[in-house]
Amino acid sequence: MHKALLLIVIPLLSYGFWLSVEFKGIAAGVSIFLFGMLSLEQGFKAFTGGVLERILQKTTDTTWKSFGFGFLSASLMQSSSLVSVITISFLSAGLLDLVAGIGIVFGSNLGTTTGAWLIAGLGLKVNIATYAMPILVFGVLCIFQNGKQLKGIGYILTGLGFLLLGIHYMKESFEHFENTINLAEYAMPGVKGLLIYTALGIIATIIMQSSHATMLLTITAVSVHQITYDNALALAIGANVGTTITAIIAAFGANIQGKRLAGSHLLINLCTGIFVLVFIKQFGVAVDFISQNLGIAGTDHAMKLATFHSLFNLTGIILFFPFINQQVTLLEKLFIEKRSNIFKPKYLDSSAMDFPETVVESVRLESIHLYENAIHVILRTFGLHKRDLQTKDLLKQLIDQNNHPIEYDIDANYEKRIKGIYSAIIAFISQAGFPLEMPQSSRLSWLREANKRTVEAIKDTKHLQKNWTQSRSSTNQVKIDEYNKIAYQIILHIQKIETFRHEIEGNELPLLSLDALKATIKDDDMQMIRTIETLIRDRKITPETGSSLINDSAYMRSIKKNLLKAAETLFLHDNTVNNQVEQQLSLNETEINDVVQTVDTK
Amino acid sequence: MKIEKLLHKLQAFFDTNTHKKREHIEELKKILLKLKKKERKITHSLEQTDDECLIKHYQTELEIIRVQRKKGIEVLQLLKERKKN
Repeated sequence: MHKALLLIVIPLLSYGFWLSVEFKGIAAGVSIFLFGMLSLEQGFKAFTGGVLERILQKTTDTTWKSFGFGFLSASLMQSSSLVSVITISFLSAGLLDLVAGIGIVFGSNLGTTTGAWLIAGLGLKVNIATYAMPILVFGVLCIFQNGKQLKGIGYILTGLGFLLLGIHYMKESFEHFENTINLAEYAMPGVKGLLIYTALGIIATIIMQSSHATMLLTITAVSVHQITYDNALALAIGANVGTTITAIIAAFGANIQGKRLAGSHLLINLCTGIFVLVFIKQFGVAVDFISQNLGIAGTDHAMKLATFHSLFNLTGIILFFPFINQQVTLLEKLFIEKRSNIFKPKYLDSSAMDFPETVVESVRLESIHLYENAIHVILRTFGLHKRDLQTKDLLKQLIDQNNHPIEYDIDANYEKRIKGIYSAIIAFISQAGFPLEMPQSSRLSWLREANKRTVEAIKDTKHLQKNWTQSRSSTNQVKIDEYNKIAYQIILHIQKIETFRHEIEGNELPLLSLDALKATIKDDDMQMIRTIETLIRDRKITPETGSSLINDSAYMRSIKKNLLKAAETLFLHDNTVNNQVEQQLSLNETEINDVVQTVDTK
Repeated sequence: MKIEKLLHKLQAFFDTNTHKKREHIEELKKILLKLKKKERKITHSLEQTDDECLIKHYQTELEIIRVQRKKGIEVLQLLKERKKN
C-alpha cells in the first residue's frame, strides 16, 4: 500500500474502532483471514522449486489439463493469486506457453469459487472456530520443525486455521453489528446500485488484494441481511474483476508473455463482468433455478451468492474458453514485444568463408567484439562505464562512492550483447570445418576457447554480483570495503589488459607484461585470503561473511584469469622475431610463484 | 696477420648463423634497455601513489622485471661467449 494512503487508512480505521466494537471485530476478522492467506501462500512456496514445478510441467501439456491444474490448485491453495503468480513466472521462464497459461487462468477462476461455497456452506453454519484451534496448534508445531517441507505443512495448516478463525470473527461481529447499525439502509436498488456496488467490490478487492476476503465480507454481510442480495451480487462481480490486480502487479516484473497472461486475465474477467451486468436479471432467474434444484432455500442468500459466484465464472469459461487461440492472437497484437537492440555480429560475413585466413581473421575480430561487450557488461555490473577506465587515479574513488547502484540486469544484457554474437561465432567456426592438419584449424580452436573464457568471465561476474549488491546495503563498513576491493581489483585488471593491448600496438614488450599480470592475479588472491582470515580473527566480519568473501574472491580470480587468457589469444596474434626473443625472457609458472613469494615476504 | 683477420671477418659476415647470432644479441640488448626504461617508469609511479593495491601491483611488476632482466643478462652473456668461440 502506498505510504500516503496508509496515513489516511490508519486514522480512519482507528476512528472506526473507537466508534464501534463490532467494526473492530470485522476488521480483525478480515486481517486474520488475510494473514491466513499469506501463511497458506508461504506454505505452498515451500514446495516450489521442486514438486510444484514438476506437477506444473506434467499437467499442462494440453489446454484441458491446464484448466484442470488451475482448478485443482486454486481449490487446494484457496488462492488464485498464488496460482497466477506461479503461472506468470513459469510463462516468463518459457516453461509454459500462453495457451496453457490462459487455460490455468480459466481453471483457477473456477477453482477459487470453492472458497465461496466453503464460507457459505460451512463457515456460516458450523462453529468453525472449534476446527480452527487444533489446526492452528498442529500448524505452529510443524513450523517449529527443522525440515523445509514440514515447515511448509505447518504454514499451510496455520494458514487454514487463520482462514477459519477469520471467518468466525467476521460472522460473530456481523451478528452483533446487526443489532447496532443496519447497513441495509444504504442499499441501492436498480442499475445505479448495481454499478456502485460493482465498483465497491473492485476497490475492496484491490485494497485487500484478495477476492476471497471480499467474498467473505459479502457472504457474511448478506447472511445477516446487512446488505441486500442484489447489492451482494454486484459486489461479487466487482470482486471477480478486482482479483486480476494481483496478476497485473506480478506482470510488472515479468516479460512480455507474463504481461499477456495478466492482460488475458483482466480481459476474461472484465468481459464476463460486463456480460453478467447486462444480463443480471436472467442470471438472477438462473441462480434461483439452480438453487431450487440443489435444495437451497430461497431465503438462503449466502448459498445463492456462492451459486452465483460459480455461475459467473462458469459463464466466463463458456464464453471465452473455446476462443483461446483467438485470444492469444489478440493479446500478441495488444502487447507487442519490443525488438530489443540485440547486438549482431559485425565481421562474420559469408564472403569471408572463401579463404582460410579470412575466416580466422573474421572470427578473431568478432571475438574481440564479443570481448569488448563482455567488458562493458562487467564494468556496468560494478556501476562503471568504459570511459571510467581512463580516470586512473579516480577509479577507486568511483567504486567507493558507488554505494547504492541499481542492480544491473546481467541476464538481459547477456542475451542482448553476448549470446547472439557468441552463437554466431560458434556457428561460423563449425561451418568453416577446416581439416585438422591445417594451421588455421588450431587457430580457430584457440579462438573458440578464448570466446568460452570470455563468456565464463561474465558467468563468474553474475555469481559475484549477488553478494556484491547485497554488501551495498550492509551496515558493516569493513564488509563494504572488502567487496569494493574485489570490484576494484577486477577493474584494475581490465585496465591493465587495456594497457597490454596498447603495448602490443607500440611493440612495448607485451609478452613480458603478461608475466606481471599473471603474478598480480596470484598475489591479489593470496592477499585477499590473508586479509579475510585476519578480519574474522579480529571479529570485524562474521565467519559467514568471511566464507562468502572467500567464495567471491575465487570468482574474482576466475574472472581475471579468463579475461587474461582470452586477451592473450585475441590480441597476441603476430609471431614475430621480437616475440621469440621476448619468449626467452618470459617466466615460467615456478618463476612467477617465486616472485610472488619474494614480494610477499618483503 | 691483417689479411687473416680480414678473412675471418668476411667468413663471419657470410655465415648466416653468425649473422643470426648478432641479430639475436642486438634484439636482446634492445629488450633489456626497454625493460630498464619500464622499470624506471614503474618506480616513478610507485613513488607517486599511496593506493595500497597499486603499491602491491607495482612492487610485483618491478620484481618480475628484475627477474626478467637477470634472465636476459645471463642469455646475453652466453650468446657473447658462444660468438667468441
